[in-house]
Amino acid sequence: MGDEYPSLFRSEQMSLVQLIVPTEVAHDTIAELGELGNVEFKDLNPDVNPFQRSYVGEIRRVDEMARRVRFFSSQIEKDKDKVPIRPLYDSAPLLTVGPRAAHTMDELDVKLAEHETRLIQMNDSYQLLSERTKELVEARHVLRETAVFFERASGYQQDVRSSFDDSSAPLLQHDDREQQYSSSNIQFDLEFVAGTIERSRLPTFERVLWRVLRGNLYMNHTDIQEPFVDPTTGVETRKNVFIIFAHGDTLLAKIRKVAESMGATLYPIDANADKRAESMREVTARLEDLQVVLFNTGINRRAELVTIGESLASWQDVVRKEKLIYETLNLLIYDVRRKTLIAEGWCPTRDIPMIQVALRHATEESGTNVPPILHDLKTNKTPPTFNRTNRFTEGFQTIMDAYGIASYQEVNPGLFAVITFPFLFAVMFGDIGHGFITFMSAAIMILLERRLLKADLGEIFGMFFFGRYIILMMGLFSMYTGLLYNDIFSKSLHLFASGWSWPEDPGNQTVTAIPNGHTYIFGLDPGWHGADNALLFTNSYKMKMSIVLGVVHMTFALCLQVPNHLRFKRYTDIWTNFVPQMIFLQSIFGYLVVCIIYKWTIDWETSPTGPPSLLNMLISMFLSPGTVDPDTQLYRGQSTVQVILLGLAFVCVPWMLIAKPYLEWKEMQKIHGQGYIGLGTDEAPRDISDTVMEGEEEGNGRAVVEAMEEEHEQHDFGEVVIHQVIHTIEFCLGCISHTASYLRLWALSLAHAQLSEVLWTMTIEGVLGMSGVFGIIAILLMGVVWFILTVGILCVMEGLSAFLHALRLHWVEANSKHYEAGGYEFAPLSFASLDEN
Amino acid sequence: MEALLFNVDNGFLEGIVRGYKAGLLTQSHYSNLTQCETIEDFRTQLSATDYGNFLSNEPLPISTSTIADKATQLLVDQFNFLRSNAVEPLTKFFDYITYAYMIDNVVLLITGTLHERNTQELLERCHPLGVFDTLPALCVATNVEELYRTVLVETPLAPYFRDCITAADLDDLNIEIIRNTLYKAYLEDFYAFCTTLGGPTADVMHRILSFEADRRSINITINSFGTELTKERRVKLFPTIGRLFPAGNNTLARADDIDQVRSACDGVMEYRAFFESGPASGAGARGNGAGAQDSTAHLLGELEDTSAAGELEDRFFVQEVHLNKLAFLQQFQHGVFYAYVKLKEQEIRSVTWIAECIAQDARDRIQDYIPTF
Repeated sequence: MGDEYPSLFRSEQMSLVQLIVPTEVAHDTIAELGELGNVEFKDLNPDVNPFQRSYVGEIRRVDEMARRVRFFSSQIEKDKDKVPIRPLYDSAPLLTVGPRAAHTMDELDVKLAEHETRLIQMNDSYQLLSERTKELVEARHVLRETAVFFERASGYQQDVRSSFDDSSAPLLQHDDREQQYSSSNIQFDLEFVAGTIERSRLPTFERVLWRVLRGNLYMNHTDIQEPFVDPTTGVETRKNVFIIFAHGDTLLAKIRKVAESMGATLYPIDANADKRAESMREVTARLEDLQVVLFNTGINRRAELVTIGESLASWQDVVRKEKLIYETLNLLIYDVRRKTLIAEGWCPTRDIPMIQVALRHATEESGTNVPPILHDLKTNKTPPTFNRTNRFTEGFQTIMDAYGIASYQEVNPGLFAVITFPFLFAVMFGDIGHGFITFMSAAIMILLERRLLKADLGEIFGMFFFGRYIILMMGLFSMYTGLLYNDIFSKSLHLFASGWSWPEDPGNQTVTAIPNGHTYIFGLDPGWHGADNALLFTNSYKMKMSIVLGVVHMTFALCLQVPNHLRFKRYTDIWTNFVPQMIFLQSIFGYLVVCIIYKWTIDWETSPTGPPSLLNMLISMFLSPGTVDPDTQLYRGQSTVQVILLGLAFVCVPWMLIAKPYLEWKEMQKIHGQGYIGLGTDEAPRDISDTVMEGEEEGNGRAVVEAMEEEHEQHDFGEVVIHQVIHTIEFCLGCISHTASYLRLWALSLAHAQLSEVLWTMTIEGVLGMSGVFGIIAILLMGVVWFILTVGILCVMEGLSAFLHALRLHWVEANSKHYEAGGYEFAPLSFASLDEN
Repeated sequence: MEALLFNVDNGFLEGIVRGYKAGLLTQSHYSNLTQCETIEDFRTQLSATDYGNFLSNEPLPISTSTIADKATQLLVDQFNFLRSNAVEPLTKFFDYITYAYMIDNVVLLITGTLHERNTQELLERCHPLGVFDTLPALCVATNVEELYRTVLVETPLAPYFRDCITAADLDDLNIEIIRNTLYKAYLEDFYAFCTTLGGPTADVMHRILSFEADRRSINITINSFGTELTKERRVKLFPTIGRLFPAGNNTLARADDIDQVRSACDGVMEYRAFFESGPASGAGARGNGAGAQDSTAHLLGELEDTSAAGELEDRFFVQEVHLNKLAFLQQFQHGVFYAYVKLKEQEIRSVTWIAECIAQDARDRIQDYIPTF
């Protein structure tokens, strides 16, 4: 059935194929299949450790290359100026298939290694140079700051000295004179330590020193204004210049030791101002030289990075693909004697010709003449589920896959969700205006699709973008239901002639509209808008509508069982499950729907009896069967009909409960009667005719792989009974609670309408009456507020909540009626999916 | 009461730490790791565990010390995350956990300075959990009093240190005495703190700390045989908590050989097993392996490390792991945090041991690691 036209109704027909690939074309074959992206490879050596497989060496090599590429990209990212990276679609493709593939990879490996060593070398020298520059800059700072300090101190010193002069000894005077002669500054006989230290460590440093020197600490420090930036990591550090005075070699040594251990850098500073000026000059000169060298190194490094940036994207691509290819090759069995690799995997039956073409192409590319051979294997394993989606259906399918992956070839609810999902959403969201806003936002996303697909959108917007077609449909359907509800931003449209006319009465009193014989053609009559009993009317209308929609939706979902039963040849299930379930549902809730519609069709103004409450009718149908109060009778013969329906529903319960287990049991008896006994490990005994057996024995000329160990759970009779009991109870109770659950359609729709009305009255309505310039400004302001709130609260928040409820109605209420969701997803080897993560 | 209020402050962190615990390597991971042929295999194996890609950006070849460093860094990151999210009294509890590492670092630094090693090199070898601001300044000190006055006075270790000031000058024996005095004070303090916390925390932590104390007492006794440490001073180093206290400690104090140590431990069921095979027969290859393994933990540690002591140490580790695993059986208590750190540390030791065996091609001793789970 592989030639069936592809549809979403059932997942693709899958085949288990075996590929026998000569080793020399293995790499190219996998590459080609990866480009194609529709073969899922099975792990054929699950017992082998990952590092004992055949291609570990290659993987390791590719890992090393990947590390280098990561290193490059992190270097490029860290660079202060943006280094251009040539995008992948713009760069020349790096061919890793064909006869020269190995050569290309070797070349690439060498190239990457070369680039890495060069870059590391440059980084090292750059770092070394900037380290030295940093030291010099620090030294300059220390010199400058100490100079400032000494100047200030010399001022003090002179004051102190002058007062001392009279009483001081002549020896000292001699000293003074000599120093004044040699320089303008005074020679300190104190010794000191100067250097720089990180600012954050300064307090600790000071405290430790204070304790080491027993409180005799004379320390001065100033901040260095500009931060020091580490060239490789880009981290900023701020430092301080300090100068500590102490006396005695031991103390000085101790201070030096503390300073060094705390990470400070010490600089030899001379107390003599001339020498200081000289070293300052020297430092400045060296600094200038270094900066020139540093600048050149920086330019070289940047040039290197730019070269790397040219081809980085293609390297990344190649490395990622190669890794994936070798990881896939590791899944295959390696036959040493025949120099072949044996692969097994799933692929869509429809795509087998395409895969054949790809295999042939791979052989041609690699320049050998031994083509890989593709076998179709027969198996009893359950294939993976693969639904072919396009841009439009992808979103809807994802909604259903989030609930559970469909069993293989099961009816796929994702197909129906395309219509039912937006529709149920719109029932809750019905408003032309809000629907239009939603529709337009989705339309814009779709128009800009190409551009947005390439951009990185971030998590939240990306999610909205992914669901753009869902949003589009939701908007469209909301406009439709909005027309039905005659609701546009909580106002009504007068499209056609109203069926009600208001009396021309200027008095300030309650007026009553009179029917004028018209029937409003489509949707809700605008005459209801603003009427006292409008809420009463819409409530009753929407409530009943929800029940009707709910029962229709559940009935439809129930019907989807039938194609499943037919496809999986479970014909008895139609009679043991589907029919009683359908009768049960219809005899209670189907009847309610009929009553609702019948009640709508009657003009109760002219009826002899009053309108009956349908809720009470349903309750009394259960509680007092056979008796109907004539005052609230809907139609003649109601009691008889109700008794019959109730009886039908009650018959269905034991039917569901007993019929299937009984049939199973009979089947088992029959098999035992034929003399077969199920063996513990083997397949459960099958009831098959001789011709089928013969056909199987001969294998029909095809390779047959029968791996029995999995898939076949023992069909235990007790299990069947328990399963059926649970299923029955779940269904019967579910029918009631699920029908009630559909009332959320009414509740949310009501909430939405009321909320939008409240928003209108609280913002715009208050300022509408104003006139003049002030009025215009007020309307403008309020209009903006109203619009923002409309989009934010009514469209986004209410929309999300309605979305959630629609989701629940699909997952719980509809899916529980037919969806088994016992499959697993088809995960093909594909390079395209590589880019997504 | 804890069941009602514990989660208000600590529920999140307990959840986190239990999640971390679930990421510890299991027996099957270990058996996979021991089958690795090269360090690259080892890296591939580890990348499938919670360690993830922690080595993927390291250029080949990878040294075992890099593996240990990176793994420790992971532990430190996790610890810091927990600590920065904690509130009192859990914060205090975390602080107490770090004190043990601080003591190790202080002793390491003093010893290093004594042997005139490079300060920077020593600082790199310090455990990152026990680093404090003024730690580098320790190298200035030349005697105990100075040590206390300049650096330790403002660290949390200061109260523990008061008892050591009497020690005259710094030599190897004295440093060992300082370490054990500090540790004794620390254990007693931690024990008292856990008592104030009460409830299951106290139950769990008392069990672990008692064992820790007993282990130290036994180690001190065994290591003091044949040294100039007098019995009176030995008694002073025994923590006054633990299951051997006071009767067992008194016997230990008088012990002259390993048999007397064994008889001291006879009072406690669990400890009896430690000496069962006896040092004479059990001095096999396994003991040697454990001794080498401990070298990372007790860097400049025990004065003598005979094979018998090594085997004993090995059994202590097994018992420690067992006790820490028990801590996870109780909820609403802080003990899990302590236990996790210890278990992770043990795991890092085991992983490093295996890596070391692979690197040195010592396949026969690769099984000598201590599994956690």
